[in-house]
Amino acid sequence: MYSFIEPTQSNQSLGDDGILFVRNEGIFDTMVKTSLLLASMIIAAALIPIQSSFSSPRDLDLIIYPDGSTHISTEIDVDPFVTDYELNLFGSTIDNLVVVGDNEFLLDTDIIHDSVLIQTFGSSIISIEYDIHDLVSKQGKLWTFSLDSPSNFTLLLPQNSAIVGMTNLPINMEIINDQNKLTLPSGKTEIDYLFSNTISNPIPDTETETNYFSYAIIGGVIVIVLIGAVIIIRTKQKNLKSSTVGDVKPLPISDKNNILDIETIFKLKPDLREDDQELVKFIFNNGGKALESELRKKFLQPRTTMWRAVKRLEREGVIEIEKKDLQNLVKLRKNMEEEE
Amino acid sequence: MKKLAVFAIIVLIFGTISPSLVDHAYGQSDPSILLRIAVQADKQIVNQLDRVYGDQIPNNLQILYDKGHRAVYSLDKSLPNDIEKAKQDFLLAMNSFMQISRTISQSSEKVIVVTVSDKSNRHLTSEIDRLEKYVKTLEKISKKYNTNVESDFIKIYDLIQELRIQINDGYGTYDDVINEIKIILDSVKNDIRESAIKQKSDFIKRFFDRLLNQVDKILTHAQDNDVDQIQIDKASALILEIRELLSKNQINDAKVVFAELKGLMEKIGYPIRIT
Repeated sequence: MYSFIEPTQSNQSLGDDGILFVRNEGIFDTMVKTSLLLASMIIAAALIPIQSSFSSPRDLDLIIYPDGSTHISTEIDVDPFVTDYELNLFGSTIDNLVVVGDNEFLLDTDIIHDSVLIQTFGSSIISIEYDIHDLVSKQGKLWTFSLDSPSNFTLLLPQNSAIVGMTNLPINMEIINDQNKLTLPSGKTEIDYLFSNTISNPIPDTETETNYFSYAIIGGVIVIVLIGAVIIIRTKQKNLKSSTVGDVKPLPISDKNNILDIETIFKLKPDLREDDQELVKFIFNNGGKALESELRKKFLQPRTTMWRAVKRLEREGVIEIEKKDLQNLVKLRKNMEEEE
Repeated sequence: MKKLAVFAIIVLIFGTISPSLVDHAYGQSDPSILLRIAVQADKQIVNQLDRVYGDQIPNNLQILYDKGHRAVYSLDKSLPNDIEKAKQDFLLAMNSFMQISRTISQSSEKVIVVTVSDKSNRHLTSEIDRLEKYVKTLEKISKKYNTNVESDFIKIYDLIQELRIQINDGYGTYDDVINEIKIILDSVKNDIRESAIKQKSDFIKRFFDRLLNQVDKILTHAQDNDVDQIQIDKASALILEIRELLSKNQINDAKVVFAELKGLMEKIGYPIRIT
């Protein structure tokens, strides 16, 4: 039984200010049949995914080969009540196209420019694989992958490739057989990459890091204990000896005579950053020169950071860089005072 | 009843919204990948600049690099708390690095689009890898249909092996071997298709049967709407022909006649669709 809207004046008096109050408890049941509403909403909710899934790729996976050709594999939901399905390909230079329907049934295809007409024979899911040569271009040593994807997709980059630019935020990344595999969102994507002999490993994967995390903790504890023991032993030794032994070897007199002393350098360059001053001190104590790699080891800095610091000191005129056996030899300048 | 209705509505609303929430969450599942990619790109750019310019980096590239490097530094600081800032930093860094590498490349060579026909840019190992992947796909399908083509696949894999040896040695008749593989593959594909059609003939017949019944109904409707009787008679004749061909298991011929019927139906303004 459904209740009906009843004016409150039938059993209640008007308020003092004359406002007419209406009981609203039964409005919902009264105006709309609840069961009908529910049924229609359930049907609507059920239909939404079906409609949106038709003709949209379930999966889209791309593999880029070292020559820039790309293997595409995708699965698409299609209307099982039509004879043909026309699919837009990602280009017109297509090789090795294979389309299979339900139960791996090989389907007939006809490629027309950059689309393929597939005789689906009532299949509801079709799997498509092909190679394409339109997605990657090369300029000099730089390779550029471009795609306007209708859905999220995965992209497996070639071995020894390194990404040097991209226009989209990746959703995920993992390592498969030493190759970077990105998951990217739908829409336009451009990725620039290079092949480099200097890449020994692809970008480390979080999972791998997680796997080694417990080992790292154990290793870290052992290292800390060992360092502690070494420090205690050395402190005891120091107490026994009358003279202390510094970490830095004493400089040859000839070198000292050739370069400015550290205080003069800092007086001439009062604006040097603290970390740069530390670098200069180390180079000075090292005989006025040091390899960039030695600086990195000493100050535990990544290559890029140290390279930037060295470049900064060079711009300041404090040091000069020489190439020695394919390495950068950083030397304190002798004629800094004259320039000033 | 009212409580049930409210509950159902909440469930439905949540159910409708939830897929987008899941996507959103997935998109932010591991923001540290942004830093890993950016740091790797930074290192590569430094190597590139060092290799190409040494100590004489052009000012515009130096400015771009500084901008990108600062963005990587900021990205490192933004993670893991400020994801939105991290995303902005990532895009800024990668955009700067992209501009640098493109500028360096533009100064060296013209754009070469990789195409099949571009033999000068040919990478035989990639070509064979692709071919082998294609062969494996066909082999998988052939097993499904129990086709008698195992010997063909053995021959193809032998030829692929031969090609790889030739590439390692640095000389050989690559194109001849590749063409031989392609000829065998065409034959294999035909065998698979024939076998697939035999096994699936019942399925195809049922499909055509359903389709032709629908076309019959459409033709009745067209007749009621005064469509030219000659065209309707022609369509009916084609339907009979298809049924006859299907009864003789001549699937391919039936498909050809069906294509004619389809064209005719479109011409009279009643395209075939079962839905």
